[in-house]
Amino acid sequence: MALDTLMQQMVNGITLGGMYALIALGYTLVYGIMLMINFAHSEMFMAGAYVGLFTLTGLTNPKLVGSGTVAFLTKNGIGLVLLFTIVFLIAGVAIGLLGVIIERTAYRPLRNAPRLAPLISAIGVSIFLQNAVLLWVDSKALPFPQVFPIVNIKIFGNASISTLQIFILVSVVLILIVLDTFVSKTRIGKAMRATSQDRDAAGLMGVNINTVIALAFFIGPALGAVAGIFNGMYYGTVNWNMGFLPGIKSFTAAVIGGIGNLRGAMLGGFVLGIIESLAAGFLATGYKDVVAFVILILVLIFRPGGLLGESVVEKV
Amino acid sequence: MSMGKFKKYLSVVAVLAAVALVVTGCGASTTTTTGGGTSTGPVSVTIGIGAPITQGATALGLGMERGAKLAITDMNASAEAKAAGITFTSTTGDDQGDPKTGVNVANQFASNPNLVGVMGHLNSGVSIPASAVYSRANIVMISPASTNPALTLQGLKNVFRVCTIDSVQGPAAADRATGDLGKKAVFIVDDSTPYGTGLADEFGKEFTAKGGKVLGREKTGDKDTDFKALVTKIKATNPDLVYYGGVYNAGALLSKQLKDGGVKVPMMGGDGLYDGQYIKLAGAANAEGDFATSVGLPLAQLPAGEKFTTEFKAAYPNDEIAAYDAYSYDAATVIMKAVLVAAGKVTAAKVTSPEGRAAIISAVAATNYTGITGAIAFDAKGDTTNKAITLYVVKGGVWIPFVK
Repeated sequence: MALDTLMQQMVNGITLGGMYALIALGYTLVYGIMLMINFAHSEMFMAGAYVGLFTLTGLTNPKLVGSGTVAFLTKNGIGLVLLFTIVFLIAGVAIGLLGVIIERTAYRPLRNAPRLAPLISAIGVSIFLQNAVLLWVDSKALPFPQVFPIVNIKIFGNASISTLQIFILVSVVLILIVLDTFVSKTRIGKAMRATSQDRDAAGLMGVNINTVIALAFFIGPALGAVAGIFNGMYYGTVNWNMGFLPGIKSFTAAVIGGIGNLRGAMLGGFVLGIIESLAAGFLATGYKDVVAFVILILVLIFRPGGLLGESVVEKV
Repeated sequence: MSMGKFKKYLSVVAVLAAVALVVTGCGASTTTTTGGGTSTGPVSVTIGIGAPITQGATALGLGMERGAKLAITDMNASAEAKAAGITFTSTTGDDQGDPKTGVNVANQFASNPNLVGVMGHLNSGVSIPASAVYSRANIVMISPASTNPALTLQGLKNVFRVCTIDSVQGPAAADRATGDLGKKAVFIVDDSTPYGTGLADEFGKEFTAKGGKVLGREKTGDKDTDFKALVTKIKATNPDLVYYGGVYNAGALLSKQLKDGGVKVPMMGGDGLYDGQYIKLAGAANAEGDFATSVGLPLAQLPAGEKFTTEFKAAYPNDEIAAYDAYSYDAATVIMKAVLVAAGKVTAAKVTSPEGRAAIISAVAATNYTGITGAIAFDAKGDTTNKAITLYVVKGGVWIPFVK
C-alpha cells in the first residue's frame, strides 16, 4: 500500500479521533465525578449540532441580520473567525446549560438512589431529547451549510489535508490543553479531582459538591456540542438520531483510555479514530467496527482499567 | 400531582375510554347490520400505509403517505365507491426503514379487523419480512417502491408491486453508464441492505458484461456518516464512476465526501437516490452531474402526469412530488378498485372476511388499469409488466431526465 494512502488514512483517522476525544471527555468527566454513565450525552452532541446549525443559518440569513453583516461574516477571515466564535459560544453555552438543567432535574433527585436508577433516567432523557427534536424540528436530515471555506492542501504525494480538518484538529488540541490545565492547575480543578477521589470527604473539606457536579455537567455537554458542530461541518448534515453511533464509539474510546481519566479519554478517542480509518482503508469498510471493538475487548482483557486508567482494587 | 387531581384525571381517562368503546362498538355493529341487508350507510374499511415516517428514507416515505391519502380522497369521492357503499380510510404504520419495526407494523396491520390491504413498504429489506406476515393473514400487499427481485420470488400470492425490479434497473443503469456515458472503470459501494446489495450486484454484473472494469466493491452501513477512509481508498483506484447501491441519506454524504476528498467523478445510484433531499444533503455543487436511475417514466412524459401534479399541488402546496408519490397513488388505487370488485362478489360488509380478502387478492392479480404511472398489470409473480427505467442527472441543483 502506497505511503501517501497511509498518510491520508492517518489524517482521516486523527480528525475522526479528535471528534471522538471531545465527546469521550464528556462521558469521562461525568463518570469521574458521579460514577455514572451519562447516556444522554450523545444527545448533547446532537442538540449542539442543531443549535450550531440554527445559529449559523440565522447569522448568515440576510433577512435577519442584513446583507452587509452576512457579507462581512462570510467573505473575509476576521468575519469568519467572529462568525464561528459566536456559533461555538452560543451552542456551547446553551448545551452546557441544558446539561446543568438535566443534572438538576433528572439526576440530582437520584443521587443517593441505587446506581441503576440514574442510568435509566439518562436513557429516558436521551429518548426525550431525540423525540423532542424529531417532533419540533424535522424527521428529515438537515443539510449543514458549507460556510467554512474548504481547500485541500497537499502534504505528501497524493495525500492532502483540508482546511476544515486543520481547523478541527487545532481546535480539539487547544480545547484538550485548556481543559487539562484547568483540571490540573486551578483551584476549582483541584476541587473536581478531590470530588472524583472521594465525594463525601471532599464535601467535609469544604468543597461545594453541587457546584463541582454542575460544572462537570456544564463542561461535558458544552464539549459535546462543539463536537456536534464539527461533525455537522465535516459530514454536512445533522439528524435527530445522529448522536447514537458517535455516542457509542466515544463511550468506547473513553473505556479504552480508562474511564474517569481525562487524558485517557483523549488518547482513547484518537486511538479509536485511527484504528477505524486504517481498518476501513486497508481491510474493508465493513470491518472498521469489528476491528474497533476487538481492540476494546483486548484492552479490557489485558488492561481492565483502560490504557491510562489505574487498576482500582475493589473496595470491600 | 395531588391525589384529588389524580382522581379527576383518572375519571377523564375512564370517560374517554368508555366513549372509545361505544364508538368502536358502533362501527362494528354498523358493519354487521349492513351485512344483514338493512343498509344503514357506507361500510368503512381501512388501507394500511406502511412507510418510513420518522427514520430512514423519510422524504420518500412521507411521499408514499401523501400519494396513498390522495388516492383515498379521490376514490371516496368517486361514483363507483359510493355505488358499492364503501368508504376508505387509512392508517399509517411507521416502519422506520427497519426490518424489525416493519414486522411490528405488519403484525399491527394484520390484527386490524377493518383492514383490506396494505400499500407498502418502501425498503425491500422491510417489505420482504413484512410480506410473510401479510401472507399468513391473507392480506394483499402492494409495494410502490421495493425493487429487490426476491420480494416476489417467495411464491406468496398476496404480494404485488407497481415498480420495476432491480434485475431490470441495475442492468439498465450499467447499459447507460457504459454506453451513453462512456464509463469504463467503476468502484461499487453498497449499504448492506437487501435493496442496496441487490442493485449493486446487478449493476456490477452487467457493467462487467459490457466490457467495463469493476475496480473494487465495498460494503458500508445504511446509517453510516463517515466515508472518509473509503473515499481515500476509492481515490487510489482512480475510477471514472462510483456506483452506490443504497438510499439518499447515506448516499448524499458519500457523494459530498467523495468530492471533498478530490474524487471528482460522478456518483451513480438507483431510485433510492432519486430525491431532492439527496441534492440538499450533498450540497448542490457536489451533487451536480451525479446520476440516478428510477422506475417508470418521468411524470411530465405521462399522459396523466399533469393532472396528478395539479391535484398534488392543491392538496400539498408546501411539498414537492417525491419518487413514489404517484406510484403510491396507483398502488392504493389498485387495492381500492380490487376491494370494490370483491364487494361486488361477497357484498360490501364481507370484504374484510377471509373470503373477501381472498377475493381482493384475486381481483388485484387480475388488475388491468391505467394509472398515473402508466398501464398497470401484474405477471404471475406479482411484478408489474411496466419495465420502463429512466436515467436522471443533477443539473443546476435539480434532478432532470438525462438526454445524451
